[in-house]
Amino acid sequence: MQETKQALVKRLEGEARRIRRNVWRALRAGGGGHAGGSLSAADVLAALYFHRMRVRPGEPEWLERDRFVLSKGHANAALGAVLAQAGFVDDALLDRFYAMESPFGMHPDIKLPGVEMCTGALGHGLAIATGMALGARIGKQTFHTFVMLGDGELHEGSNWEAAMAAAHYRLSNLTAIVDHNKISQSGRVADIIGVDPLADKWRAFGWEVREIDGHQMHQVVDALDALPFHSGRPSALIAHTVKGKGVSFAEDTYLWHSNNVNDEVLARALAELGAP
Amino acid sequence: MSAVAPAITDWRSRSAKQTRLAYGQALLELGAKEPRTVVVSADTQDLLGIRGYIERYPDRFVELGIAEQNAIGVASGLATTGLRPYVCAYAPFITARSMEQVRNDVAYANQRVVIGAAASGISLGVAGGTHHALEDLALMRSLPNMTVIVPADVDEAYKAALATLDIDGPVYLRLGGRTEEPPVTDPDAPFRLGRAVQLRPGRDVCVIACGALVEMAVRASDILKQEGIGARVLNMHTIKPFDREAVLSAAAETRGIVTAEEHHLVGGLGGAVAELLAVERPTRMRMVGMPDAFAMVGPTVPLRAKYGMSAEAIAQQCRALMAAA
Repeated sequence: MQETKQALVKRLEGEARRIRRNVWRALRAGGGGHAGGSLSAADVLAALYFHRMRVRPGEPEWLERDRFVLSKGHANAALGAVLAQAGFVDDALLDRFYAMESPFGMHPDIKLPGVEMCTGALGHGLAIATGMALGARIGKQTFHTFVMLGDGELHEGSNWEAAMAAAHYRLSNLTAIVDHNKISQSGRVADIIGVDPLADKWRAFGWEVREIDGHQMHQVVDALDALPFHSGRPSALIAHTVKGKGVSFAEDTYLWHSNNVNDEVLARALAELGAP
Repeated sequence: MSAVAPAITDWRSRSAKQTRLAYGQALLELGAKEPRTVVVSADTQDLLGIRGYIERYPDRFVELGIAEQNAIGVASGLATTGLRPYVCAYAPFITARSMEQVRNDVAYANQRVVIGAAASGISLGVAGGTHHALEDLALMRSLPNMTVIVPADVDEAYKAALATLDIDGPVYLRLGGRTEEPPVTDPDAPFRLGRAVQLRPGRDVCVIACGALVEMAVRASDILKQEGIGARVLNMHTIKPFDREAVLSAAAETRGIVTAEEHHLVGGLGGAVAELLAVERPTRMRMVGMPDAFAMVGPTVPLRAKYGMSAEAIAQQCRALMAAA
């Protein structure tokens, strides 16, 4: 029986809530970390991995799998949560965040099944994803490549080299998702170096753009279901999000870009998020 | 993908005596041998002589324009899909500008990306210091997983490019510019990665050289022979993995080592030899290479000589080492 839209959204919202709970759990295991950007990305990640992407958690090297590159690699707690929930890795891994010799550190590492590239140095992922999308075309493969970028990350000029190339090659098999939470490490992106008008920038570079509320799951699903947005252009999905989404004390503040997490903080966060 | 292997006709005549063009010719053969080959250009189609490749394999070619960081990132992404990217680039830009992409996307992620880096050293002498690459070996050699090769002439460049097919990891292949390099290697000898090649015997002193300095080292040895000094010459075409045994044997069997390279004296071949010998077998050494300065503008060959990179300068360092020994 086909899942209704309503049931789908409800299921994905549940996965997103679990991602957020697992993010806090991992951060507690590691003593702290990048809560803000992990939580802002949770809803989009849930829709990607539990709805849109063709992946086989038991066969992470499956050649036809869709690719996902977390260019804003500091949100790795959220990626680890997704990979555990999807079954790529054992759930116990989440308790080994930052642990000695753990494949689950602050930033993604291809040593972890399901991780496509070592990222975290900002401004790398879009070029890598462009290479994957070109590789699919050259190798006559049908997979789609997704890359998630931070908004502060777009300060890195290398993004725009890749944006130009992807549009030049009309890579409709490539989607860049901007987790537009408006806050970077030191403050509000608009005060650091403004990125607006963001959609116009992507359009000017030759991308087909859509903007959504990245926390309204039905909007996220509709956007991902509409990919590619144009048959001859790469797609840019600007997800307007809230840094630290879901936990009041972490929301919309650069103080929770990265912060320490003790037992008390964990308990407060989990209480706000509600049962898994 | 091409089912019929193209005839590889007389690549030497097309590559003149420039290693950068030998690489471009080798790509034609690689394209036939390995259907997963894909060539990545950073607006460097003539620099590396790849127009023949592009004509034959248009579907396995990606032009990325003047954007070296993107070229490395894209090459890494291509490699994850099972393709074998060969990047064509300027040595000064693809190393210094793209260092973080090379380190993270290629070396750390251990992707099979080959970087063909033309215009290394002061091979584009007239272009000035912005276009010289005198620190590239130090940068590339410091990266785990990276293989670093410095061919001495066109034959070696061609064979080294083909040898990358069997290297399961990233490769930096250092190539020259528009200066013709005299042939010095045995065209019939196989290229053996990580194994130094002895080009002259000798038990008094050993010159360990790479790239364009190999031919100068051979001439230096011939000069010294007239003077009764036996100068062994090793062509250290692979800087990483490093032929430790050849260096340690030379240190044991001669009275000292002279290194010679078209690179700063910091961190290149001389540095690699010194690091090894300082720990394993302290040995009297002299180094020929670029002093701690940016090179002036000038034609490459006299410019090399000005900074002490010549057969006579190598011979002089050997004599000085012998006198002190």
